[in-house]
Amino acid sequence: MSTDLELRTSINDAVKRVALTESRVSAPVSAVADDEPLNGELLSVTSMGFLGMMMQLEDDCGIVLPDDLFVGRRFTTVADVVDIVLAQVADAGTA
Amino acid sequence: MGSVPAQWRSVIPHLGYDLPADRAPHRTTGAPVQVNLPMSLARQQVGQREFWDIPEPVLEAYRRYRPTPLWRAVGFERAIGAKVPIWAKYEGGNISGSHKYNTALAQAYYYKQAGVRELVTGTGAGQWGTALAAACAQFGLACTVFMVGSSLRKKPYRGVLMRMLGAEVHASPSGLTDISRQVVADQANGLSLALGEAVQYAAAREGVAFSSGSGETYSILHQSVIGLESIEQLAEQSATVDAVVGSVGAGSNFGGIALPFACAAAAGDLAMPLLVGAESASTPKLTRGTYAYDHTDATGSGPMEAMYTIGSSYAVPDSHSAGLRYHGAAKVISAMRAAKQLSATAVHQVEALEAGRLFTLHESVLPAPESGHALAAAARIATGQDAEHRCQEGVLVCVSGHGYLDLAAYDQLLQGQLQDERPSDEVLAAAMAGLTGAVNISRLQVTA
Repeated sequence: MSTDLELRTSINDAVKRVALTESRVSAPVSAVADDEPLNGELLSVTSMGFLGMMMQLEDDCGIVLPDDLFVGRRFTTVADVVDIVLAQVADAGTA
Repeated sequence: MGSVPAQWRSVIPHLGYDLPADRAPHRTTGAPVQVNLPMSLARQQVGQREFWDIPEPVLEAYRRYRPTPLWRAVGFERAIGAKVPIWAKYEGGNISGSHKYNTALAQAYYYKQAGVRELVTGTGAGQWGTALAAACAQFGLACTVFMVGSSLRKKPYRGVLMRMLGAEVHASPSGLTDISRQVVADQANGLSLALGEAVQYAAAREGVAFSSGSGETYSILHQSVIGLESIEQLAEQSATVDAVVGSVGAGSNFGGIALPFACAAAAGDLAMPLLVGAESASTPKLTRGTYAYDHTDATGSGPMEAMYTIGSSYAVPDSHSAGLRYHGAAKVISAMRAAKQLSATAVHQVEALEAGRLFTLHESVLPAPESGHALAAAARIATGQDAEHRCQEGVLVCVSGHGYLDLAAYDQLLQGQLQDERPSDEVLAAAMAGLTGAVNISRLQVTA
């Protein structure tokens, strides 16, 4: 059983990894700050690319994101995405 | 005859390559990623599955008008001197009068599930706007439509029908949005502006989503019901075709009728027919455009897509090519064109409407001008006049909609008042000059 910290670290790394892939940046996960902008000096994520990221995270983290999660939402940093995935993992764990 | 498919079928797993990723229009440090799509549609947009269950409420709505008719158009064959059979698949028999209702129903259903209360869109000839208005009415959503102003003035009854279906309708440029107030006169006539208005209008309101219409990958998936039914209906009649034709605005009815044949061929169930998109010669993206990254609407705010395009800044000339008056083709259609998995031909409006007139006279079905383009292309192939596209067994053509609200165009044809305008090479080159990031077609090598 993962501790909360281990879970957050694991998801943090997963989000950074898919964000790097989506941005076509060859860099280690450690190069991405927790508050790294999704569109900034390092990362460049389009809205459609973002959706691809989320599909990948569904697979990587074993979650199913609900239909109403994304309509009208804005995501600025890596941490925004981590929070969403963590919340879904927590929901899955308590369901 | 035939049955309503319980699943949509995607060609994506059979392409043998990944569709080129979208690009940010410009790099803005710190800009948020805005997501305005239900997860169900997002999965269908980027997913690799082949079969997708159709939700029961959508299926129930489909059953009210599907399966749509497919018949051998013997009268049309005789009238044009066809050398092979022509099979017509008619999608005009629903409230919207076109195939666009197939995806509008699905989109309205998924947005409703996602908690949206209103959908906003842009429409050219009004078929998409009508389809979305009808679908929103079915699923209890409000609807706002920005319709290309010149089209709305020519077809006021489209506006009436949309309003009867509960939609709010604005002629574009409307003056309601920043982009419409900034537009210059020669750019005021296109679908990309109407779409841009819808984008801005939706973005400024809570609980309101922009529905981008019929060129998205998920829209083409929803349209697969056309081709899936056609395959079954042709088999019931022991008929085979080696050419499948549909008109191309962005490509949804063409994709809908043609791509299931590519899936079936990939599965070894039938021989791969020629897939031929019939576009308007006034917006010749597939035959005279370039495969490059371009904007999908006039705001330029959304991701840039890899597409065959004549440039989103191209001032589309006024014509009766109606819903085909769009600068770019859908990304999946464009990629398959680049990979030589499908082909295209351009048709002028006089030839298109003449084909529509003959079809009306000999088949007792009045086609929309868009469908006239497909019928003209099918006629060329079936009579052997198209040197690039030869067939020996038969042609299947999608009659994507009815033309009851396009009779003014047919009237002009009968009066001899219609002319064709072919955009000059210079005009097209100027519209495409600003495009950057041409897609390397060699990267679309088939790997599977």
